[in-house]
Amino acid sequence: MIEFAGVSKAFESKPVLSAFNLKIDQGERVVLQGPSGCGKTTILRLIAGFLAPDQGSILIRGKIAASNARICIEPEKRGLGYVFQDLALWPHMTVFENIEFPLKAQSVSAAERRQRVAEMLGRVDLDGLGDSYPTRLSGGQQQRVALARALINRPTVILMDEPLSNLDEELQAALTDQILRLHTEFAFTLVYVTHSKEEKRRLATRSILLRGGGAVED
Amino acid sequence: MGRLLNVKRFTLGASAGLLALIGLLPLSVMVAYSFIADGSIGVRHYVDTLGRTRAWTLFLNSIALATFSTIVALAIGVPVAVLIAKTKMPFRRLITVCFSVPILIPPYVLATGWFEILGRDGLVSRFTSPSVGEMTSSWLFSLPGAVLVLSTAFLPVILLLSLASLRGVNPTLEDAARLFCGWPLVLKRITIPLALPGIWLSLVLVFLLAMGEFGAPSYLRLSVFPVESFTQFSAFYNAGAATAASIPMLLVVAIGLLAGSRLLREGTHYFRWAGSQVTPHHISLGRFAPLTSALVLIAALVLIVAPCAALIWRGFSGTAMNSALLQATDSIAWSLLYAGIAASGVALLGFFLAYASQRRSFAKWLWIDGLTLFLFAIPGTVIGIAAIVTWNHPLTGWLYASPAILILGFAAQYIAIGTHGIAAGLAQFSPSLEEAAEIAGAGWFRRVATILTPLSKTAITAAWLLTFIFCLRDSSLSLLLSPPGRETLTARTMTLMANGSPDVIAALCLISMLLPVIPLAIFGIAVRIVRKRA
Amino acid sequence: MMNARRIVSRLSWFAFAAVALIGCRTARQETVTIYVSEDRVFSEPILKDFERDTGIRVLAVYDTEEAKSTGVMNRLLSEKNNPQADLYWANEPVRADVLRQQGVSTPFKPANAQQIPEKFKDPAGYWTGFSARARLFVVNKNAKFRPTSVLSYSDEKTRGRSVIANPLFGTTTAQMAALFSVWGDDKGKQFLAALKANRVKLSTGNGESADLVATGEFDFALVDSDDAVDRMRRGKPIEIVYPDQGEGEPGLLILPNAVSLIQGGPNPANGRRLMEYLVSPETERKLALAGCAQIPLHPGVAPPAEIKPIDQLKTMEVNYGDLGAKLQAIQPVLKQWVGY
Repeated sequence: MIEFAGVSKAFESKPVLSAFNLKIDQGERVVLQGPSGCGKTTILRLIAGFLAPDQGSILIRGKIAASNARICIEPEKRGLGYVFQDLALWPHMTVFENIEFPLKAQSVSAAERRQRVAEMLGRVDLDGLGDSYPTRLSGGQQQRVALARALINRPTVILMDEPLSNLDEELQAALTDQILRLHTEFAFTLVYVTHSKEEKRRLATRSILLRGGGAVED
Repeated sequence: MGRLLNVKRFTLGASAGLLALIGLLPLSVMVAYSFIADGSIGVRHYVDTLGRTRAWTLFLNSIALATFSTIVALAIGVPVAVLIAKTKMPFRRLITVCFSVPILIPPYVLATGWFEILGRDGLVSRFTSPSVGEMTSSWLFSLPGAVLVLSTAFLPVILLLSLASLRGVNPTLEDAARLFCGWPLVLKRITIPLALPGIWLSLVLVFLLAMGEFGAPSYLRLSVFPVESFTQFSAFYNAGAATAASIPMLLVVAIGLLAGSRLLREGTHYFRWAGSQVTPHHISLGRFAPLTSALVLIAALVLIVAPCAALIWRGFSGTAMNSALLQATDSIAWSLLYAGIAASGVALLGFFLAYASQRRSFAKWLWIDGLTLFLFAIPGTVIGIAAIVTWNHPLTGWLYASPAILILGFAAQYIAIGTHGIAAGLAQFSPSLEEAAEIAGAGWFRRVATILTPLSKTAITAAWLLTFIFCLRDSSLSLLLSPPGRETLTARTMTLMANGSPDVIAALCLISMLLPVIPLAIFGIAVRIVRKRA
Repeated sequence: MMNARRIVSRLSWFAFAAVALIGCRTARQETVTIYVSEDRVFSEPILKDFERDTGIRVLAVYDTEEAKSTGVMNRLLSEKNNPQADLYWANEPVRADVLRQQGVSTPFKPANAQQIPEKFKDPAGYWTGFSARARLFVVNKNAKFRPTSVLSYSDEKTRGRSVIANPLFGTTTAQMAALFSVWGDDKGKQFLAALKANRVKLSTGNGESADLVATGEFDFALVDSDDAVDRMRRGKPIEIVYPDQGEGEPGLLILPNAVSLIQGGPNPANGRRLMEYLVSPETERKLALAGCAQIPLHPGVAPPAEIKPIDQLKTMEVNYGDLGAKLQAIQPVLKQWVGY
């Protein structure tokens, strides 16, 4: 599904990944862990196509997505969902519009958009909040908006960057359950970055510890 | 906090009092005078002035000039800002500098530059035929010409504010959209809408500045309100009529400001980067990069470099420059001195007012913000006339006849730069830093000197420089309030325009163009030296 | 950091010292304050010469083009209770006489002006005339029609071919007041109506009028002699016609500069000294040779080459004091005519 082949990436000549290899299969729930600055977020951004590897290649579904400092498949053509650490909900759009945007970008008809967003709102327990602006919502509600937006166009891969780090334990537990439920339902591949052992325990089918530019399987 | 005499409260109160004295009092006196006609109280000035169609024609002319100038500046400024902030277009830095240059130049100087190109005996006429010159000249001396000058003059305001807003957009928000669509749609649906409050604010500002501008329309003989009020006042000294005529203008300013402050309030929450470490993106333009860059550079060349070059071509001859420098040495010194004192005053007073407003020290802090912005946005002619009406009395003759009246006028008009700029600086750090010093026993002035000033020194320096530049490029206050024999360079140039030699006037304009560069250069070098040593 | 602070503090001390120095210099020096309506390019060199010759520093306020030479007069009126100026240098005597009527000026008869004809001086000494301009026609050399009288403006043959400066400002106001007082109000108003009917172009000032004639856009304009001489010296295809020189015609209007001493000014002694300097034959000579090409009023001082000496011209008999009152009286008529 996703493959890193000898990927190196440095920021301002400080290496973060060096000759990094990784293979993630369809439907896996991979949890990435490691100390700050070890390259967890960089891996997600490389998969998403926001960054290109300095050296090596990244393959998605067997196709070269980026190779040797060049992006071959633009982010919007990779068919991914991404839940950012700060959620990145667009403050100038309502909850409905936030979730609707991916469909709009793919020119889905208005009627279908309305129906699918309404359905998705129900699935993440946000019924009746479609007209609110994200800044008016609680942390847990915002989290679910981000999830809904990532899932709306049924991507095969979802990337999550410490999405639950700012929530209390009870909410974290509830939301990891929800993620698991949605995973069963949509059967996506999950790449999940977290510091929390608890989240890893609940979510991972496989976990990877990053250290010194390389990976150690847990 | 002692309840009786508290040094902090006294300083802040005195600052607010001073603002009232230099800003509110003159405007109130002027309005009061407008209700006195021939020794009795009444609304005759208003009936006389606003009852005439000419008053409304002028008002509409002003609105038209401001609207078109804003639209043109928007049409150029925002796309260029997007290209600079968001793409890998080559020569971005050079382009930013080019398009920012007009902020240093008084608009009437730009107009003089265009006159050298499009005027009756200008370059265009010389290289084509006198009849073409005739045409371009009549075009320049009308609304389109004034729009050309003012839109380039205020382009930097739109460009720089749009740039700041575009750069303030959290890149993660763009990333979130890039998963679903390409850059064009990301820009259209995410980046630009998020930067919109800042862009709107720049539009409101440019609209107000263009509406209040005196120098360029006066040079281009365009009948707009500030020119007419200056003419009416300086020709007839009838402050009552001048005030009455300015009322519609002041209302527009007030409405504009209300709209602007709403935009700012709504906009600020967009600008907080939620701790994101992601650096802003630069879109690759691919093979269009050189072409885009060339087009933008040509626009800069035509709009900004050309009028400046024409002035240099005309004024840089040895004799003209020599005679201009010979005549104007005093005025240059006075200009720098007045601007320097006014900028220092604005920085000092602005600091305390900014503190009062940022820390909500007064129940009425909102008034400070509102009043300073209002003073910034109203035409300089109004502030000048108000100052003359207020201080022209035997008791205040010492002030009236001295440079102080001009410096107070500058301070009143530009105090907003100090208050708003420094308030932004103070907002960057937590009040607990000051509270820690207070608990440690540091008195108010010690806290100001050792905690607040060093922490906001960038904002204070920026406010000082910006005020300094605005004072140097000011024309209406300079003309109305320069004391006898000690006038500014602008006042000298504009009084020489009647029958003065065009070469010498071009040389004088060239000097006023270069004047703000001197302190900027000194400042730049000083910063570099200090950084190197550190 | 320490270095930066030291640099800043040194710079501030330097600035402070500079301000103090300039302040002291001005405070210690003898000064005289003068408000000037005459164009700055021509008046400033004279004042600089005075500074050089006497060591008295001249603090001058000049009119801008926008204020159309009424600015400093109105400023003097508004400063009646708070006088700041010692002298007023007007570019025509009408406004100087307004100051007399309003009690802003004070009498002084300079010894240097004894030779100047009495008709160019206020009898009581409230103002003294010197170096004059004549109101005359500039005519394009290719013009089909040559004007002879001010009345040529209303001649149908000149329809749409002539230009006159806005009569609300500058010397054209005085011209109108003079015509109204010579002709009477009715004929004056008829003349104004005829100008409109004959599609006379209204320009912003005499300079623009002269330019419009020089380029051939219009055939002729009534301007000041200095505007005409200036264009001739620049080689423009124009010539001068002296209006109303014939039998039974009123003659052309002469407008001398005028200088008044201000009541209660800060430095009256220096004011009188500068006034003597301005009305001297020497100053008249300089103003004749300068770009402003003024006509000297002292007998024996040579006029500019392009202009006839004053004793060879038929000049309009006007009382400049009455002209001031007339000017005030016809102001509403003119405002309405211009459309203000």
